[in-house]
Amino acid sequence: MKPRMTLRWIVFAFAAFILNFPVIATLITAFKGAGEVSRNPSLWVQAPTLENFATVLTVSDRLNVYHYLWNSTVAALIGAVLPMLVAFPLAWAMVRRGVGRGVLFPLVVNLRALPLIIFAIPLYMMFSVAGLLDTRLGLGLILAIVNLPLALLLLVNAVAEIPAEIEEAAHMDGARTGRLLLRVVLPLCRPALITTFVFGFITAWNEFLFGLMLTTREAVPMTVGASFFFATSGGGVQWGLAAAVMVVAALPPLVLGLVMYRRITGSMVAGAVKG
Amino acid sequence: MADLRLEHLSKRIGGHSVTHDVSLSVPDGAFCVFVGPSGCGKSTLLRLIAGLEEASAGRILVGGRDVTQVPAWDRDLAMVFQSYALYPHMTVRDNIAFALRSARRPEPEVAAKVAEAARILQLDSLLDRKPAQLSGGQRQRVAIGRAIVKQPKLFLFDEPLSNLDAELRVHMRLELARLHRQLGTTIVYVTHDQVEAMTLATQIVVLRDGRVEQVGSPLQLYDAPDNLFVAGFIGSPKMNLLAATRQGDRLVLPGCGGQSVPLPPLAALPAEGVPLHLGLRPQAISATGAQSLDLVIEVVEHLGSETLVHARAPGSAELVTALVTGGRTLSPGQPFTAGFGTAALYLFDPTGQRLR
Amino acid sequence: MTNRRENAILAAPLVLFLLAILGFPTVLALVYGVSDTSFQTLTSPEFSGLANFRQVLADPTFWQAAWFSLRFGAITAVLQCALGLALAVYLAPLVRLHGWTVAILIIPMIVAPAMMGLMYRLVLHEFAGPLPHYLYQWLGWSPAFLSPAHVFKTVVVAETLQWTPFAFLLFLTAYQSIPEDLREAAAVDGTRPWRRFWTIELPLMLPTVWVALFIRFIDGFRVFDNIYTLVGAGPGGSTTSMSIYIYETFLRRGEIGKAMAAAILLFVTAFLALALAQRLTRKAAR
Repeated sequence: MKPRMTLRWIVFAFAAFILNFPVIATLITAFKGAGEVSRNPSLWVQAPTLENFATVLTVSDRLNVYHYLWNSTVAALIGAVLPMLVAFPLAWAMVRRGVGRGVLFPLVVNLRALPLIIFAIPLYMMFSVAGLLDTRLGLGLILAIVNLPLALLLLVNAVAEIPAEIEEAAHMDGARTGRLLLRVVLPLCRPALITTFVFGFITAWNEFLFGLMLTTREAVPMTVGASFFFATSGGGVQWGLAAAVMVVAALPPLVLGLVMYRRITGSMVAGAVKG
Repeated sequence: MADLRLEHLSKRIGGHSVTHDVSLSVPDGAFCVFVGPSGCGKSTLLRLIAGLEEASAGRILVGGRDVTQVPAWDRDLAMVFQSYALYPHMTVRDNIAFALRSARRPEPEVAAKVAEAARILQLDSLLDRKPAQLSGGQRQRVAIGRAIVKQPKLFLFDEPLSNLDAELRVHMRLELARLHRQLGTTIVYVTHDQVEAMTLATQIVVLRDGRVEQVGSPLQLYDAPDNLFVAGFIGSPKMNLLAATRQGDRLVLPGCGGQSVPLPPLAALPAEGVPLHLGLRPQAISATGAQSLDLVIEVVEHLGSETLVHARAPGSAELVTALVTGGRTLSPGQPFTAGFGTAALYLFDPTGQRLR
Repeated sequence: MTNRRENAILAAPLVLFLLAILGFPTVLALVYGVSDTSFQTLTSPEFSGLANFRQVLADPTFWQAAWFSLRFGAITAVLQCALGLALAVYLAPLVRLHGWTVAILIIPMIVAPAMMGLMYRLVLHEFAGPLPHYLYQWLGWSPAFLSPAHVFKTVVVAETLQWTPFAFLLFLTAYQSIPEDLREAAAVDGTRPWRRFWTIELPLMLPTVWVALFIRFIDGFRVFDNIYTLVGAGPGGSTTSMSIYIYETFLRRGEIGKAMAAAILLFVTAFLALALAQRLTRKAAR
């Protein structure tokens, strides 16, 4: 039994290393000084330094990482919270009264499987007319659409798990629909709401295509900003700096994801199997 | 507090009739129990009264007010559910206070009433716990507390004791009886357990297939069942029901080796040869009696002071159960003389209606 | 009943949101799909019938992109599911004792695909990249990962390594939900682990296998972020996926009508494929 477990540990370590290799390599490179990067491409840092991070975190003409982070944060918050707000009442009505079960539910859930680029172009045109192009709100609205299918799916599952008797008890206690939803159903959906938020925030933060197409200066999110850094650095990429930018860009969802990994894994499965 | 009247109440789901033309009057302060086998429509009837189901036809009047079209939250009733349906995210205190807060009562009044309910139900020390931290009996009391705090016109109970173990069930039964005496509020109570019905009710409604079979006090139903179904349902152990046909002034029992007994006093005689049902309660059987059947003991269940005897006539189909005092010496294989008086006999026609 | 009005109110936020953000653009897409438009004439599209569609269907790059997406989606889906299944079944006993190991393995999923593409740029860089460095050091040779000869394999491996954790997670859950009784019963019956996997565990996990293949195929088919940040359209357009094709047609070349026509074609195909897949799964469920 013991040696078998040891072999499993070895396989785990190997898989973890291979799967995370780009992340590990980037993290290590971020600690290499400007001189060392070109001399030493290995996974060993000779003279660890924080100078890359210092440069990245200093506002300059070329790179204002705080601006990107702020854009991403605002857009991802809109993109994570808005779908929960619009999906929650419908999820309840769907489970308890069958509202929209025939058309609306499959329509929304199938959105998840469609290539997003389909909507990107007409959205670009609509946004340019509506003045939403290159705004955090505009980006957030799209990210909300991206997250809507999973939000609806998770909330429908959550509401379906609430025993009907509890809601009937609330009715007998004099609660109309509004009070029932706010005081009973909403608190009971809290675990699902947290999951939806965590997952939605990570997805929204990581989104790239819409950020690339719908923003140019003011509302550029972190993922797109990081790629700018690669494209615009004339005379070759400064790899140490680039790596530090990527670490900063990847950190918020990574921290959230690792702290809440149980919730992500759960919603992954729910979203996949019920969809 | 209020009385309850149901007038020609029906509920159809699809083409199927779940409750059918139920008319009933429950006086103010009564403890009314709906009893019947599962699927008899008793829970549906309760939910119609509660407003959780919509009536297909008929009227519901609470304290003279027609509430048929009133939604559940405006009927001013309280209900205790089988699963208790406590709000798992709220403390006991908030659970009990929920109804009062729904009605936007001032907080001092809410606190006072919650305290009062907690005192009556001995929940004082549990007020800050969540339902998950309570035992089954405690949850039950919280569910009741949630119901009594709003001083509703009626209490509705949907099989409230069925999730408790046997010992606790007996205890809670006593508690409920005491509570009813203390509060005096009209109670409508659903159960499939006829013992609960007999011990708690001032009025029992026996239901079958969505219809009312008989309404009456526990002893009325026990002593004078209207039909075969009520006779078989009320009373424990169950009434013996034997096949019988009239021959002259006697009843011949083909299931008991063709032995016969005299007819009970009847207003009109049934036709000869018609298959009838003869009812005889196990408690009415003793070793002595004006009439008797000669049987052989098959199984003996010693209960201590009493003995339950299952016996049949040699080579015959029908088993007769008797509850006799003493009987410690009885054992299987012994002959058993089941004695009884003619007045203890019930006779039912082929449709199950009682012949009087 | 008054429920009618209440239901409408409950559904309204989502319906209005959908109509506003997707309904209007869909109409726009249809209008521009049959119009001759460029960025200069954005507000005055000229009706051109099905010309855009004819143009798209006659464009060899379109067909190349479609073929790329199909191949990419199918190959990565199969690779991810095979690797994910093997890892899940083999590591399940370890994961049961040490739940945190899952968190380590799903890190790639939490990293933005666009970032992952950029990270591979670093990893594969011929001077700064650790992978060519070690290959040279140990083997004295390293392929040109992003050359026309190897770029397809490179993006397939990159995609596979990032999303194998997804398949792993699905299979792990499916594996863990197989009742322990069944395994014990098989063990008592004298079934060895390898045979147990093929005769009991795999059949029970088969629905999950289809779901995982389907999801991974869809995601592979519509790939954009990581390929775009790693190599863009690729040397000679060799990594132009459908999404990249539409993007390039629209933003780089400004052929709005054509891009829209391609998007509509993609939408219709995806929708039909989806409907078909759901029909098949529903049949299988019965």
